[in-house]
Amino acid sequence: MTAVAQAGRSTRGRAAHRSLKRTRRGKSLSLTVIMLVMFAYAVLPLFWLLANASKTSGDLFSTFGLWFGGEFNLFANIDQTLSYNNGIFLRWFGNTVLYSVVGAGGAALLATVGGYALAKYDFPGRKLLFAMVLGGISIPGTALAVPTYLLFSQVGIVDTPWAVLIPALCSPFGLYLMRVYAADAVPDSILESARIDGAGELRIFRTIALRLLAPGFVTVLLFSLVATWNNYFLPLIVLNTPDWFPLTVGLNQWNAQANSGTSGAGDATYSLILTGSLLSIVPLIIAFLVLQRFWQSGLATGSVKQ
Amino acid sequence: MKTLPSRRGAMTAGVAAALSLALAACGGGSGVSGGDATGPAAVPSKSAAVQDALSKPAELTFWTWVTGIEKTVARFEAKYPNIKVNVVNAGQSADQYTKLQTAIKAGSGAPDVAQIEYFALPQFALSKQVVNLSEYGADALKDKFAASAWNQVVINGGVYGIPQDTGPMAMFYRKDIFDRLKLEPPKTWAEFAEAAKKIKADNPDNFITSIDPGDAGGVDSLIWQAGGQPFKTSGESNVSVTLDSDPGVKQWVTNFGTLLKDKLVEPQPGWTDEWWKGMGSGKYATWLTGAWAPGAIMNSIPKTKGKWAVAPMPQYDAATPMNAENGGSSVAVIPQSKNIPAAVAFAEWLNSDPEAVKSLNEEAGLFPATKVLLDDPAFRDVPWEFFGGQKINQVLGDASAAVRPGWQYLPFQVYANSIFKDTVGQAIDGGGDLTAALKSWQDRITAFGAEQGFTLSNS
Repeated sequence: MTAVAQAGRSTRGRAAHRSLKRTRRGKSLSLTVIMLVMFAYAVLPLFWLLANASKTSGDLFSTFGLWFGGEFNLFANIDQTLSYNNGIFLRWFGNTVLYSVVGAGGAALLATVGGYALAKYDFPGRKLLFAMVLGGISIPGTALAVPTYLLFSQVGIVDTPWAVLIPALCSPFGLYLMRVYAADAVPDSILESARIDGAGELRIFRTIALRLLAPGFVTVLLFSLVATWNNYFLPLIVLNTPDWFPLTVGLNQWNAQANSGTSGAGDATYSLILTGSLLSIVPLIIAFLVLQRFWQSGLATGSVKQ
Repeated sequence: MKTLPSRRGAMTAGVAAALSLALAACGGGSGVSGGDATGPAAVPSKSAAVQDALSKPAELTFWTWVTGIEKTVARFEAKYPNIKVNVVNAGQSADQYTKLQTAIKAGSGAPDVAQIEYFALPQFALSKQVVNLSEYGADALKDKFAASAWNQVVINGGVYGIPQDTGPMAMFYRKDIFDRLKLEPPKTWAEFAEAAKKIKADNPDNFITSIDPGDAGGVDSLIWQAGGQPFKTSGESNVSVTLDSDPGVKQWVTNFGTLLKDKLVEPQPGWTDEWWKGMGSGKYATWLTGAWAPGAIMNSIPKTKGKWAVAPMPQYDAATPMNAENGGSSVAVIPQSKNIPAAVAFAEWLNSDPEAVKSLNEEAGLFPATKVLLDDPAFRDVPWEFFGGQKINQVLGDASAAVRPGWQYLPFQVYANSIFKDTVGQAIDGGGDLTAALKSWQDRITAFGAEQGFTLSNS
């Protein structure tokens, strides 16, 4: 918004300043309303989750959905969620962290290395490779889940963490993003001068390119982190043992269990699902708040003219 | 178990369907089933092997989503310490079937023993993805089970699973509402409609019950209860689908078409936040469902304690009462197992030994499939505090005995259920023409079946 306003000011000059100010105010009012609507759209479900995760199972279906129940039961619910079924929730939580950190970190690293190579080195087959990457983006991961399963089953890694980690390491979109980003963010002139100064290619990558690429790296990391954290279908297919489930599959299992009539001898699992869902999004929120800074600086870097 | 199958995410159901399509295309010719070539002469030796297996060391994997069943399994391990059983919850209903079929197709990774709902069993049986237990002498167990349960595991003359739990239908109703309006639980559907009008007159926002537009299993059961038999399979590949002409289906359409048109029954997806709130607040005065329901009610809406009671299903003809099953599972043996005799022995003990079935009922909350429990006064005469002291197992046990035999599911019911929502479900939800919707469901089922290589007919 500010950028638009500034651009307007500089091109149209001072004569138009007054009338511009009036239109700007009108614009920002409608924008504010739209923003408030978007805000409500994004925050209401979260609020619903928080409100309902803090209810006792008796209050859950007998009190108003968008407000807290009679007694504030959040901590008791958290306690129950963490200890239910011998603390399987913590195990799932750990699995998700493992898959996300190793998978997303690896994916971001591979995408950075690959994107840099595609952008800065001229080698035979470069265009073909890039076209294949573009093709890879257009195939949804869900469509590949079953072929992936059959492939992994041949190799014998079905029902092991590898079956989730290996696909998570490949991010065609990240590679594409890093290639585009590296083309602009790493000036050829810097590479040339480094070569003239006698630096090897690996050293150039490590000491110069990687630093220039850091904002792009963080962007890909965030994208992959969210994708892996929320990944549901692939782990659902390739994992059978609950001990290896990520949170998504585990929570869905609890949900299915609650929806199936009795869930054993007197377990009120709806509360567990809500509390578990609430807990499962906390790390993502933290990751966004912490990494947002890098992301913003990355977007700004792109706007500086070389 | 007591699942409403079609409630599963549409995506997983779709994938299950896609998979079954791919798998059926491969046919049953993969030769995995070791028992195929064996004649009747081999039966005694195989059943002897099942007996022997209990005393030999073995390790079995058992896929099930019944919570609390570990306790029953622990009793088995205590009794037969040589056999170790790993209980794995690999997912529920369609999720688990997808995994099971992929693992069978892949040739490894399948469990020895798996829970399979009755509605899905024909699909596994006809594609030879589960062991025919007749070859291992399972027919001997027939008399231990309620006929309604046993009938559902016999497919084409073979026995493809051991019944574990059942869901004979009953009417769970809010006694407080019925008492306040001075209503008796309706014995016929005509009385049901009358009661529905009185409930509506009392408060226009209330309904006598709800119907889930996504729950094919629920509608199947209601059609079954109306005397219908729209799906028939004979031999290995002849399938008949008569949703447009079956008299029982027509009976159901007339009944529920009117109830829906008069807004006496509300279309509302089950198990949702809104639905449970309606169940708790008294918006819905009854729930027509399987005998597994008490646990769900007690867990999800504990504050309605003392307000519920159970009555038999309303009848079309009070002189010839008929009932149906809703939900329920069997336990099947997978041909990939390296120790089929031990797997069979485990499945048989788990579901027929008196100690085991008592544990399944009390520790895992399953409604029994065995006569030993259904006829046991200690089971029937327990007063349920939550139901105001009513001896509900008497009603539910009688409901089990009244189940009409002869119902069959399609050999691709998992797929058929997955498209229910787009056809009949739309009509239920939007007040459309049920007959036309059932015809379009039938057309899609017929087309799919033909693609799968079955011989389809609509008569």
